[in-house]
Amino acid sequence: MITFEGVTKRYPGGTVALDDVSLECPTGRITVFVGTSGGGKTTALRTINRMVDPTSGRVLIDGRDVRERRPAELRRGIGYVIQHAGLFPHRTVLDNIATVPYLVGWNKKKARERALELMERVGLEPAMAKRYPFQLSGGQQQRVGVARALAADPPIMLMDEPFSAVDPVVRAELQDEFLRLQDELHKTIVFVTHDIDEAIKLGDRIAVFRTGGRLVQIDSPEDLLARPADDFVAGFIGRDRGIRRLSFVPASSAPLTDRDVLPADTPVERVTAVGWILVVDAGRRPLGWVSADALPASGALGDARLAPVGPTFDAETDSVRAALDAAILSPSGRAVAVDGSGQVVGVADQHDLTAAIRPAAPLAKDGVSG
Amino acid sequence: MNDLWNQIDLCWTWLTASSQWHGADGIPHRLLQHAYYSGVSLLFAAVIGLTLGLLIGHTGRGGFLAITLANFARAIPTFGLILFVVVIEYSITPVLVALVALAVPPILVNTFEGVRGVDADVKDAARGMGMTGLGVLWHAELPMALPLILLGLRTSAIQVVATATIAAYPGFGGLGRYIIDGLARNDYQLVVGGTVLVVLLALVVQLVFAALRRVVISPGLLGSARSS
Repeated sequence: MITFEGVTKRYPGGTVALDDVSLECPTGRITVFVGTSGGGKTTALRTINRMVDPTSGRVLIDGRDVRERRPAELRRGIGYVIQHAGLFPHRTVLDNIATVPYLVGWNKKKARERALELMERVGLEPAMAKRYPFQLSGGQQQRVGVARALAADPPIMLMDEPFSAVDPVVRAELQDEFLRLQDELHKTIVFVTHDIDEAIKLGDRIAVFRTGGRLVQIDSPEDLLARPADDFVAGFIGRDRGIRRLSFVPASSAPLTDRDVLPADTPVERVTAVGWILVVDAGRRPLGWVSADALPASGALGDARLAPVGPTFDAETDSVRAALDAAILSPSGRAVAVDGSGQVVGVADQHDLTAAIRPAAPLAKDGVSG
Repeated sequence: MNDLWNQIDLCWTWLTASSQWHGADGIPHRLLQHAYYSGVSLLFAAVIGLTLGLLIGHTGRGGFLAITLANFARAIPTFGLILFVVVIEYSITPVLVALVALAVPPILVNTFEGVRGVDADVKDAARGMGMTGLGVLWHAELPMALPLILLGLRTSAIQVVATATIAAYPGFGGLGRYIIDGLARNDYQLVVGGTVLVVLLALVVQLVFAALRRVVISPGLLGSARSS
């Protein structure tokens, strides 16, 4: 665990970068520092590996003051990833990744084996080992940066806006892989970003900093969205925080019905349903929607003109937000729930989904239960 | 045209005359002297220029002062320096001092600029991964500054090789001997022959540095320079 105890950083000239910050970053979790620029989040991160020493207060790692340790030795035990990767242009990808192992005295063979292993971990082709940084895309450079930080297997990782300089598609990809990696590695991670969506997606805990280096709130993403401490935090989170909060409500709580889900070979004469019918194939995969009033006089359901299914959601793993999105985009106004193999489990309309939201909905501080 | 050909022919005759290739006044001996003066001067200049350049570039302190001094040193006429110092002490040392003074500025300035130009992100990452100050200098700043450092060394080396001819003025030989003697005796065959030898030596220096560039500079740096 990383502990900040009343940490203040004041520069000569009076600028205050950190103002009496106390917080904890739990072991094995991702703590995100987020805030406006000049909010001190990067300074806070840099006090952990002594790139910055506080004017007053202490930073402790597992109860031990970081200032008891020599900076170089301390930093070799802490992974460090920065915005533009900061790769050594004169070293190959492999030797870049092996930097810290070389520093701590591993032999070349062992260090390179470890580097190759990490390339695979972060999704880089082994063929890239001999390339130089200038031959890589921004996303690939960032992957090398992450691999390099992981090379000596440090328990702590500090990441300063690591995904900010790449385009949104690559960023989302890197974020997903980062979460997958963290699921395997369980590092204690401190992650700085100015992007609140990234913070909500990645953070187990989110610390919001505001100008003047003040920590305004530290909470789980759910609680941050539900109960912003003040107008600054609410404003920083931005609009739609109610909708965004639905990302944390599992869709499995929504009631599903399969009354109107019919196989394609059902004879039209036997259809008793009114309103929209979801037509599925023999393997219960969705084929499309058809309205009961638009059915032909005879034949099978599958022969009717079907409206496209639209997006579906996974009944087990998706959130109510995804389900609601599917419902809004569906021609029938109903969302199609599928299981992991893509078979239809049932459908839910917007009314059903609202019912699922209600217990989670109260945004008041005391949490009135519905 | 005829005249030019005459000169080349004279020069060739002079260069290939067997008498030129023996004894204290022979080409091998003069060439060795010349190379020796140049090499020693360049070595001292490199030690001074690299040390100061790396130090100033790494710490970021004293850059302005060093560059100003270096430019000032460039303005001192080498020939004048030699005459002045020879008056004080008659030996080869003043000649070498003058050559070193000539060679230090390009090395110092290029080394300083090379180190100063290293990407701040790279330095930050290097420190953040646990490199000490010397570690950052050795593993990041020096190798990344090498293209500029080599350029500085090459510039100095060529200047020194060309200027070492003045060692002959106070009578210490080298290839300058031919040029000065030739001028004194109106023997243009001698002047042209000596000049050609100096030019050839400078070309060899060029080639050596071109080869050195391929060997010591990482392809990662050359590649990015080419693509940008």
